Amino acid sequence: MPSHRQRPAAFLLSHEMLLLYVVIAEWIFFYLAGTGVNRRGVVIGFGTLDRQFDVLRHSCEIGLLALALTPVILTAGIDLSVGSLLGLCAVMFGVFWHDAGLPLVVAALLTLGVGALGGGLNATLIAGLRLPPLIVTLGTYSLYRGLAEAITRGSVTYTDFPPAFLFLGQERWLGLPTQAWVFLGFATVLWLLIHRTTLGRSCRAIGFAPEGACFAGLPVGRHLATFYVIAGSISAVAALVYTARLGQAKADAGNGYELFAITAVVLGGTSIFGGTGSVTGTLLGVAAIAILKNGLACLPAVMRLNAAEEMAGLMTGALLLLALTAGAVSRIWASFRRPPAAGVQPSPSPPA
Amino acid sequence: MPAPLLELRQITKSFGGARALRGVDFDLRAGEIHALLGENGAGKSTLIKVITGAHAADAGTLALEGAPLRHHQPASAHAAGIACIYQQPALFPDLTVAENIALRLESGSPWRRVDWRDRHAQASRWLTRLGAHIDPGTEAGELSMPEQQLVEIACALGAGARVLLMDEPTASLTPREQEKLFSLIRDLRQTGVGIIYISHRLEEIFALADRVTVLRDGASVGTRSISDVTESELIRMMVGRDLTSAPAPAEARPGGAVLVLRGVGCSATGVRDVSLELRAGEVFGVAGLVGAGRTELARVLFGLTPADAGEILLDGREVSIRSPRQAMALGLAYVPEDRRRHGAILELPVSHNLTLASHARVFPRGWLRPQAERELARRFITQLSVRCSSPEETTGALSGGNQQKIALARWLATCPRVLLLDEPTQGVDVGAKSEIHGLIRDLTRQGIAVLLISSDLSEILALSDRIGVMRGGTLPAILPGRSTAAEVMAAALGQEEKRAP
Repeated sequence: MPSHRQRPAAFLLSHEMLLLYVVIAEWIFFYLAGTGVNRRGVVIGFGTLDRQFDVLRHSCEIGLLALALTPVILTAGIDLSVGSLLGLCAVMFGVFWHDAGLPLVVAALLTLGVGALGGGLNATLIAGLRLPPLIVTLGTYSLYRGLAEAITRGSVTYTDFPPAFLFLGQERWLGLPTQAWVFLGFATVLWLLIHRTTLGRSCRAIGFAPEGACFAGLPVGRHLATFYVIAGSISAVAALVYTARLGQAKADAGNGYELFAITAVVLGGTSIFGGTGSVTGTLLGVAAIAILKNGLACLPAVMRLNAAEEMAGLMTGALLLLALTAGAVSRIWASFRRPPAAGVQPSPSPPA
Repeated sequence: MPAPLLELRQITKSFGGARALRGVDFDLRAGEIHALLGENGAGKSTLIKVITGAHAADAGTLALEGAPLRHHQPASAHAAGIACIYQQPALFPDLTVAENIALRLESGSPWRRVDWRDRHAQASRWLTRLGAHIDPGTEAGELSMPEQQLVEIACALGAGARVLLMDEPTASLTPREQEKLFSLIRDLRQTGVGIIYISHRLEEIFALADRVTVLRDGASVGTRSISDVTESELIRMMVGRDLTSAPAPAEARPGGAVLVLRGVGCSATGVRDVSLELRAGEVFGVAGLVGAGRTELARVLFGLTPADAGEILLDGREVSIRSPRQAMALGLAYVPEDRRRHGAILELPVSHNLTLASHARVFPRGWLRPQAERELARRFITQLSVRCSSPEETTGALSGGNQQKIALARWLATCPRVLLLDEPTQGVDVGAKSEIHGLIRDLTRQGIAVLLISSDLSEILALSDRIGVMRGGTLPAILPGRSTAAEVMAAALGQEEKRAP
């Protein structure tokens, strides 16, 4: 965790700053290599404003899921079900609006309720029954996707949403894609929650030492439940954004998004073992992945070996492993350089 | 005279700054049962570990039949015929008895063929020699505790053990099982095995041992033949003569009863029928041997393992304490024994740890207030003279004593009425210890009721207005604060009827 009085050098070499350099480098590279001019003299590729907005649009849903996962991972938990819940919520939104004929706002609110319920089931099993989050959400990962497929019988696709709804995913508002405002709003809320409230402080304590948090009288179960319900609710928001962007809701919505979201969180410096991490890191992690994915699609065919998707997966994986390795190496390096000063090393506990 | 079977000369061992053994001499003859006796923390466990090779001694020599043991390690101890039977048998519960025995006795390549018939024959041979009727094909987990101990002993003998260490082997046995074990131990003595027997139960030592060595503060107080020593003499050796008159406790004038326990019990942790009254402004010391149920009692009071019997009254009103949060809301605070796992979160900065239990008080609306937090942290850092570079320093970087002060300050920040302190000075250096003692006296002057659990008898005697002595999950004796160490120790050992003069 960055302390309040860091030396400038340490700040410039902090995880967030290093990631920021990577994001900037990525952007410059794709700007130079991925921008071109077509035969009619129009600029095309990565450097255009439209393309930049595309990057932003595409990163919103995974970004929202990554935001939802940040407090969960800070508690040393995990939620694999967010992508599936996104799919279920998208389908349920279709059901509420199309099949039940409910007004758009009511359908959207009910969808948020479905997300909260989905998170609530995770919360009950994890915080209430103390089951391991990895297994519980692996179960709900299949369950929610299965429910979405059962409801649509695997074939129904909800379309023909009204323009008022599509505005959320396809138009601009105050100069930015509409969903970017939603994303920024949630980023602000999550940043305040994690870095400026006692709830955020508690989730670090739980992540570092769940037993220690319990001995300090923190309501560990209730806090854990809160974070999983928040994750479920934000998945529902992501479902709405996703549906509005594509103009359709299908059972396979958000398939595999949970892995991108987890990658973004961990790339952002949040420890999978809990305790350390920041929302800023998560945002940078999302940016690094989104720019990589979209930038590769803009590269000339020769450079990207005709396989932008595969290349994006490969590069994302390499980036994550590189970040983890860099972290481990710097830790080992630091432990070499720091002499074991007297009084700093915790003395071994004396025998009984 | 032949060389003793096992001979230890001037063994010393330190952990960090704490000296656990300071020049211990000890010898064991063949065909002898030699009891090892001492208070909690006297150094018994460390001495055992030095003998079994789990710890390397800093200085001193070990010799087996006159031949010095160099580079003593668990494997070489095993090869030399030194075996240890622990309180909790360490068998693999899912393997059969024969497999468990084979694991200890057989060696060689992991790829060799297993001769099952030979394994079973070998297992039955050793078990029969011990007079045990145990089928070698049974899974070890299905055996009773004494049966498992027999298997352990069979392993030890099968490996050719000549020195057998037994650490409280009767702790989980019924009286009849105990008697069987005793006759087995006596039989073993006949065969020339030397047995080091560790127990807190004096009557066992008188029934079994030939000689007894008493350890105190990491040094041997003396070795006596069991026939010319009395129980009260042994107790005096254990606690030391210098401790008999306690320094006068601070002139406390305890107020009314704050917390009253009537027959409180918790079946899950073995606390039974505890009744006591804790008055405002007093230190109620809780003494007892390891495993007497002291920490368990504190956990019941703090709602970590809620009571399921009896009643707890706070200010005369019956309360139910089902969780730490409820305990906190009632004004209770618990500084746990295990500072590193429970008392403080070492990865967090000092200031975060200090406010962790009083979020609602310091941050009333749930928003962090860094300024208020830093001020509070500075106040406690000054008040408790915590040595740290800033409130933002990581707690784990502080020394043990300073970490303990943080764990304490965290609860003082909640303005508690009842403070449960569990081993507040364990693993803390001398300076910090006296500072913490001074702090405890200050707190009682402010009217806080303190329940002080400690294995350090001198600490209990120095601070307590009254002393409750626990044994086997119960609280059979409450002694006045001016009791002698011998009286407390006698009560802890279960001899409260015949008090030392």
